[in-house]
Amino acid sequence: MESRLLRVNLSTGELTGEVIPHSVFERWIGGSGINNWILWEHFLTHDINCDPRGPDNIFIFGVGPLAGSGAGSGVKGRITFKSPCYNMFGDSAGGGKFPYMVRFSGYEYIAITGRAPRPVYLHICNGEVELRDAAHLWGRDTAETHALLQQELGDYPSKAHTLTISQAGEKQVGIAGVVSDALRIHARGGGGAVLGSKNLKAIAVQGNGGIRIQRPENMLAWSDDFRQRIDGNEAVYGFKRRGTLGAVEMYQHIGSHFWRNNQGNMFRGDEIRSDNWVKKYHKYSEVCSSDCFIACDGKYKIDGSESEAAKKYAGETFRRPEYLTTGSAAGALDVRDWAEVAHWGKLTNDYGIDNQDLSCSIAFLMELRERDLISDRDVAELFGHEQTLRWGNMDDIEACVDAIVFQKNPFGELFRDGPYYGALKYSEMKGQNFMKYATYGKGGASFTEEMRPFPTWMNNMAVASRGADHLKGIGLIEKFQRKDLSKIYFDGRTEAADLSTPELKGACTALVENQVALLNSYGVCLFHWMLDPAGYTPQDYYGQAYAAATGIDYTPEELMLAGERICNLEKAFNSRVGMRREHDTVCERWMWEPNPEGMYEGKVAADMFDTVLDEYYEWRGWDRESGLQTRERLQRLGMDDVADVLAADGALI
Amino acid sequence: MITVHTEFHSHFREIAATARDSFELEEPLVAELAERISARYGEKMRAMLIDPETRELNERGTMFVDTSGRRISMEDTLEDGETITFLVGIAGG
Ligand code: SF4
Repeated sequence: MESRLLRVNLSTGELTGEVIPHSVFERWIGGSGINNWILWEHFLTHDINCDPRGPDNIFIFGVGPLAGSGAGSGVKGRITFKSPCYNMFGDSAGGGKFPYMVRFSGYEYIAITGRAPRPVYLHICNGEVELRDAAHLWGRDTAETHALLQQELGDYPSKAHTLTISQAGEKQVGIAGVVSDALRIHARGGGGAVLGSKNLKAIAVQGNGGIRIQRPENMLAWSDDFRQRIDGNEAVYGFKRRGTLGAVEMYQHIGSHFWRNNQGNMFRGDEIRSDNWVKKYHKYSEVCSSDCFIACDGKYKIDGSESEAAKKYAGETFRRPEYLTTGSAAGALDVRDWAEVAHWGKLTNDYGIDNQDLSCSIAFLMELRERDLISDRDVAELFGHEQTLRWGNMDDIEACVDAIVFQKNPFGELFRDGPYYGALKYSEMKGQNFMKYATYGKGGASFTEEMRPFPTWMNNMAVASRGADHLKGIGLIEKFQRKDLSKIYFDGRTEAADLSTPELKGACTALVENQVALLNSYGVCLFHWMLDPAGYTPQDYYGQAYAAATGIDYTPEELMLAGERICNLEKAFNSRVGMRREHDTVCERWMWEPNPEGMYEGKVAADMFDTVLDEYYEWRGWDRESGLQTRERLQRLGMDDVADVLAADGALI
Repeated sequence: MITVHTEFHSHFREIAATARDSFELEEPLVAELAERISARYGEKMRAMLIDPETRELNERGTMFVDTSGRRISMEDTLEDGETITFLVGIAGG
């Protein structure tokens, strides 16, 4: 197995192709694992404490060996960089066709450094690479940029597929993401700001190069078996119909939404509590990537007759909102009309901005005003004019979005890096401590879901390498009380699925983080694994597909070690920038304020937080006191070289 | 004989074409409830409820909870008048 890496130095204009040798795959699997390794190596020769918005930062796009391989397990590409909003490791996944079209254009990995003297875009077509002027694209949102590039580049040898930033990225807003084909955002961590700081407006790829599969017969057999498992699964069929919107009613029932900045955990408003939305607006389902046997993606169209609010958006069509789009609008901001929720999804996608950071920042300010902790005059000071901050009011919400995207006023500037840093800066500005109302974990914005009753989920928020995150450690065993999986993972023990005990919760985070790291390195979509038609253990069943694609035969144990290695490299990055145990924490609201309603009313994170965190470090083999890695564990993972770097930085036990 | 109420959400509601129903059970067991629901609503519902390999309740992509939010299993007993809620188990997005 070999792969091609394109290195782009925007300061010099140098474009260099390299081969990533087999040995790198053997150690780092592919996809996010190889991205992490490129990031790590880069910061061996560049200052890791550099300004993430400066030319020394690196932006990496990578795609794993199963993406576009015909496996049918979905496609995810990954961007990796030093995060400009959280100042730590940053990465984010995104689907659609762009990731495998990068492979068709001749490369699997793109590493971008430096800063172009003026706005440019990168064009790759069947191995030919060029930096082109992007003056005509600058100042446009992601939808406009994508449309212009498709028009400009034509249909030969394929349509152009793009990764673009919006005005928010251009202005280096820390919570700006990058958007694939104007549809699917890599939202987390501020990749858009990194590209904006480099004056790179877009990457456009075209190609018909295909993908080499090492053992095509094995791949076909695997793919056929996987398709049959999916086709015969009624729960998967339900997921096709609704996507993650299926979570709306479950979360409403157990009290797991994030209402008004998590002052509550249930949606209000009769219509918004139900996923009947699907019947009203949903037009058709589709695959996002052409290499997926599930096809959970869908399109909506608002015809204007659905509600009073819908009139304003008549004719609008876009992707069906996912759960977190809904959670951020209907939950965090208390928007009660589905047409408005759908519009919020389109708006934040066109502006290429993380709707979790954005909604938590706006909700923070709305709560301060609601509690009379700030006055109308304080708000006017932030916006430069009088501004109402009504929950659920789209005009007020859009004024806040505009402020951040276009860096229009002090509110936008304060909250460009999300709710944690925004709240810190605003507290300092007003000489008052408002941190009690900011929702975050490890400096990253909350995911707009109730966390307090779920100790693994909470632990995920505290330890995730890119700040508060449910997609690195995915605490589903606990949230869905999957005793069957707990038994498989932990030698017959069921505590990982039992919400009443801290036992096995930290262990569960560590183990699932390793598994997710593997899946992200294969380049597949996590939903296929979450829905579990293939047994929920990515080292076994998926391992066979990996072997077919790459020709590398790993045992399940070796794959799990590789997953652990990948997680440890992310951890090592964060240790190098100074992160320790005290950073592995969550906000005051979750820690101390009792869960106010719902089935699990009264829970606070503090009940189990430290016990779970201790167990997490123990399972990881890291030092409990400092949170740092140990040489012993790194050696066991074959990471002596990483241990040496950490030791030199005083970041190893 | 006991009566158990059911609340169906999302895909369960779509298959059942109703949000609520009630079932009379000879034995106060989840196993009997699952059988009765499957018999009333057909094969799609059976596929959602029962894992064909293990004959246990299907835990993949589903959530069946009692009023305290505890996931129920085939061997659990039920009380007269109790409500069991059927939800899909998915997160993220
Ligand atoms: S399951 Fe959904 S998100 Fe995943 S690849 Fe398929 S269509 Fe895309």
